[in-house]
Amino acid sequence: MAVNPLERRGMLNKRWCLAFLGMSMAMSALAAGEDLPVFRLDCNNGVFTPKQLLVPAGKKFKIEIYNTGTEAIEFESRQLRKEKALSPQSNSFVVVFPLEPGEYKFFDDFHIQTGQGSIIAK
Amino acid sequence: MGQILFVMWRETVEAMLVVGILHAWLAHDPSGRRGKKYLWLGVLAGLALALLLGLGIEAMGSILSDEGQEYFQAAMLLVAAALIVQMVFWMRMHGRRLKQDLEQSLSRSTRTQHWWGVFSLAAIAVAREGSETVVYLSSLAMGENGFASPRFWLASALGVVLAGTTFYLLQLGGKLFSWRIFFQLTEILLLLFGCALLMNGVEKLMDMQLLPVLKSQVWDSSMWLDDGSIFGGIVSSFTGYRSRPALMSLLVFSGYWLAITGMLKAPRFPGRQ
Repeated sequence: MAVNPLERRGMLNKRWCLAFLGMSMAMSALAAGEDLPVFRLDCNNGVFTPKQLLVPAGKKFKIEIYNTGTEAIEFESRQLRKEKALSPQSNSFVVVFPLEPGEYKFFDDFHIQTGQGSIIAK
Repeated sequence: MGQILFVMWRETVEAMLVVGILHAWLAHDPSGRRGKKYLWLGVLAGLALALLLGLGIEAMGSILSDEGQEYFQAAMLLVAAALIVQMVFWMRMHGRRLKQDLEQSLSRSTRTQHWWGVFSLAAIAVAREGSETVVYLSSLAMGENGFASPRFWLASALGVVLAGTTFYLLQLGGKLFSWRIFFQLTEILLLLFGCALLMNGVEKLMDMQLLPVLKSQVWDSSMWLDDGSIFGGIVSSFTGYRSRPALMSLLVFSGYWLAITGMLKAPRFPGRQ
């Protein structure tokens, strides 16, 4: 039976979606399987602790962000190309790919005046 | 108070800029009015998606892997950037004779396609900033006094007022200025904003290592304008400016503007007289 072109396009899309899903699942499995150095970062209503994170340069690592305050925060870094909004008393993480030595700034976009910090890669 | 004002301003203005400009463009021409329906439906769809994304952020984490969310965001950003550029050039091509074209040559299907573009652009613009607004607002609502907390109502009211004002000013602008000036100004605004979205999207891909960074920092202009400061951050989110650009970001930025200026000069897109 001939498949009408519209249907065929639907099938193609489905195939792409599956491939895409498979790829992202494989990638998350990979990410979970690796042993990444983990750094904890607390944010309490726009105050980061610690204000500076020392990380090894040239190595992938993970930052676990804990919003310990009563207000929402948004961890953001333009240099690291990260953005993560967190509601109060919740936590999440970002995986940072190997950095060249240097200083990388991050801030809390919902408390930009007080919420400034940086990552030093050495 | 200052902080609430700033967050609500920034979260609402980006979306209303896109929605307001599209609305003014559609309202300018009587035959564009049919598209307004698609615009408002897009806004509604965007609000629904924002609620889902914002309230379901914890639930989303378990359904969609972290990478999945990143892909989703990157796709939203890139689609929005492409739609903005497409919209600007579609208006340049057809806008001048939109009414005539719609009545005569322009086929129904291109029109419908275009309206769906309007729908998607509005939906993405609202969903993107809206989901963060939802996180922000719900945290205020969950605060000490719950929904009775004055901060929650203050923030919500400010959001509505700021979004409404932005929208109103854009409609007013379309009437106050000559249409030509208004169109040119808003066209530039949208192209700048399209660049910012493209940069964000591309940087997400770089972050997922789907695109090479090439060189992590080409220069550092943060002593003049730091994209991590309040003002620099605004400039950055409306234009794609980076004070410490990676080589790949720089290439995409330059490529975008080369392509845009090339297209602006092309005789196919004459602009408005």
